[in-house]
Amino acid sequence: MKSHGSFIRTITSGCLCAALLIGCVGQSDDDTIVVGLSADITTFEPGMISSRDNSNIARHIFGSLFTLSPDGEHIPELAHTLEITEDGKGYIYTLNEGLTCHDGEPLTAEDVAYTFNRIGDPENRFTGNAPGFVYTSVGFENAEPLDELRVQINIAQKNPIAFGLLTEIPVHCKDAYEQMSLDEAASNPIGSGPYRLASWTRGSQVVLEKVREPANFERIVWRIIPEASTRTAELISGNADIITNVVPEQVDAINESGRAQVQVVSGTRRMYVGYNLSDEHARMPGGDAIQDPNVRRALQYAVDVPTICRQLLSVDCERATGLVNPQNANPNLTPYPYDREMAESLLDQAGWPRGTDGTRFSIRMQAGQGRYVNDVNVVLAVVQYLEDVGLDIDLELMEWASVYTPLLRERSMGPLFFLGTGGGLWSPIYDMTDIAQVGSGTNYTHWSDPRWFDRWPDLVNTDDLDEQRGIIDEMLQVFYDDGPWLHMYFQPDFYGVSNRIEWTARRDEYIEVFEAALR
Amino acid sequence: MGAYIVRRLLQSIIVVIGVTLVSFLALQAGGDPTYLFVSERASAEEIEATRIALGFDRPLHEQYLSFVADLTRGDFGQSLSYRQPAMDIVLEALPATIELTMFAMLLALLLAIPLGVLAAINRGTAWDGSITTVSMLGQSIPSFWMGIMMILFFGLYIRLFPISGHVPFLAPMLDGDFGTAFSNLPRTIYHLVLPGIAVGTYSLARNTRLVRSSLLEVLEQDYVRTARSKGIPELRVLVSHALRNAWLPVVTIIGLEFGFLLGGVVVVETVFSYPGIGRLLFAAINQRDIPLVQAGVILLASIFILLNLLVDLVYVRLDPRVKLAGGRG
Repeated sequence: MKSHGSFIRTITSGCLCAALLIGCVGQSDDDTIVVGLSADITTFEPGMISSRDNSNIARHIFGSLFTLSPDGEHIPELAHTLEITEDGKGYIYTLNEGLTCHDGEPLTAEDVAYTFNRIGDPENRFTGNAPGFVYTSVGFENAEPLDELRVQINIAQKNPIAFGLLTEIPVHCKDAYEQMSLDEAASNPIGSGPYRLASWTRGSQVVLEKVREPANFERIVWRIIPEASTRTAELISGNADIITNVVPEQVDAINESGRAQVQVVSGTRRMYVGYNLSDEHARMPGGDAIQDPNVRRALQYAVDVPTICRQLLSVDCERATGLVNPQNANPNLTPYPYDREMAESLLDQAGWPRGTDGTRFSIRMQAGQGRYVNDVNVVLAVVQYLEDVGLDIDLELMEWASVYTPLLRERSMGPLFFLGTGGGLWSPIYDMTDIAQVGSGTNYTHWSDPRWFDRWPDLVNTDDLDEQRGIIDEMLQVFYDDGPWLHMYFQPDFYGVSNRIEWTARRDEYIEVFEAALR
Repeated sequence: MGAYIVRRLLQSIIVVIGVTLVSFLALQAGGDPTYLFVSERASAEEIEATRIALGFDRPLHEQYLSFVADLTRGDFGQSLSYRQPAMDIVLEALPATIELTMFAMLLALLLAIPLGVLAAINRGTAWDGSITTVSMLGQSIPSFWMGIMMILFFGLYIRLFPISGHVPFLAPMLDGDFGTAFSNLPRTIYHLVLPGIAVGTYSLARNTRLVRSSLLEVLEQDYVRTARSKGIPELRVLVSHALRNAWLPVVTIIGLEFGFLLGGVVVVETVFSYPGIGRLLFAAINQRDIPLVQAGVILLASIFILLNLLVDLVYVRLDPRVKLAGGRG
């Protein structure tokens, strides 16, 4: 026994000496901040960036004309002023003086125009967030330099949220990108932001080096750590300073480690159960029942959302009263309470009494899995609550990417479906744009209430902010009463943050470490 | 032997084409991949334009035949998500996986042979019982669970080994940067210890049991008894007479083992954030990046086929009774 103990001690000491000599375990560098991300990144091509993790890294490399503060305020970055032409179709930005790109090339209005036009050039076949979402949403036409420092972005029609959407365009210089092929540009970004790319080991890490202020650390290391427990272990062991997507079950382990804390923020992603009201779904079992707004309203009372949040997400979620984030929501609305008796009573009144077997009606519910925090368990809980008030739910849980996403794009999931859609803090209209038109790609419900859609032109065209607010509140009231969502919660986001740094997580899923600092 | 090798290589082309066809159809079975490459607000026109840009508007047979035609020119296509040549991306990830696989295999072999021999020559004793029990345990424990447990114990609690990551050795070697490669080597090995054990434990356990049973069978043979009766020392009987013949089934397994490990590291690479080919292909499958998956599958299938061929050739060397069909041995 003694010899075994001695043997183990010898081996352990040997390994420890080797570890210290190699110097890899738990080493922290005061000039470097390490961020552990859950998803790999694929490109640095501004026209191809689409995932949030990819975009978060790119935001440190590429500046934007204006940006959004953590509170959703529209603030200057590369440009200092924005004027909008009288017809609302021209956005004129005036750049700061003395800007340069990472290769030293001066950044002028011509470069900004080139950036915008390059992303929109159909020849380049870009499919990222900028051309696929921003340009589509604002109706981008072209960009033109007016002089050395002024650039005009032209859009097809007046759009009250274009100013915010245009913050998502990463700006770079012309000469460098004209000389690079598309392949080269994908892995050699030459940006205009505070950091430049130092190295990229695909699937492993991205290292950025400081170029200019604002930047408190000389280096940012973005490590790709897909497995949640490994990210947690790296945080606790001191090898990572910030980690994303902490799973609720590991929150206590981090908080009790003494080395890091979990920051839980109420995100801007709106989680809901949608009602697909299309004609096709109306012919399905239960599809006819949910056509009636009274049934939809009854089901709002059937699901105990606060309990779901506490039990399955380990937090008290911010409840939703509609599709707009709380700071921009109609202040007169309060979340539907859990009231099973009320739900049963309203279902009876709506003409759907329990049958002899206790069932009111059968209906199919579809959901993707592995996309949102604890999504499968949340869906199972919702199903249980709905079955408690007499619905017979045929649940279909699906693989997210290859099975659920195509249904989503074709707007054919349902009649009931579970979904979370990204929102923003900077404009209620941005959140409402999901349902800007009956036929828009993000109106997954096919909802067509004229009290909502008839007001849309007024909302878009008014320049009077008070009038605009009035229209918004009126529309949100309709959505609350008779809308196509069973309102649930704003998804909480969990970040693990090392005790050695000072950093505050944002609500909008942006990870910015410009302002992060050592304690 | 030359004719045999040529014939096997020609056969392998058919196998590779079969593999590409199966993986192509499997990826297509999940539906139209275009939706993964458009924003959620994309209009029907934009979706259609993207479909055309990605080539998914063409009939399936046309897409596949065009892929095979490009393949004959050495063009594996562009990765849809990385927008770079698919094979370049796969080859970039391959050295890391080879390092992990080689490490795991070496570990499995270096320990399996002495443990198997120890168990066999001490048949029925506590040594044999312990080794057999631990081997069965090693085969029963899922590698991802073992990986997580090792991360917790060795990485987090006693902080002996790094929890995740990779320091390249082969990649700088292949680039001709020997200085970097060898200065990296200690850290490469250091980072390989935990994932290497997680990957190699199953093989170690299986090989130990294989060596044991194979050796036990040989030790019962007449020629071993004859050798012993001639007064040859036991160690020499074991090494020169018994082990040499016990090698045959082990060699067969080892060859296939490398291929098995190459394809089986996906989970461990994910747990340890190890940037190898398994994790790359797993992500590519999720993103339906068909050219990238095809390039990876072709490469892995080719390695597997070549290893099989190599095993057959080594087999002939080890056992003169074995003749190659179509060759002179």
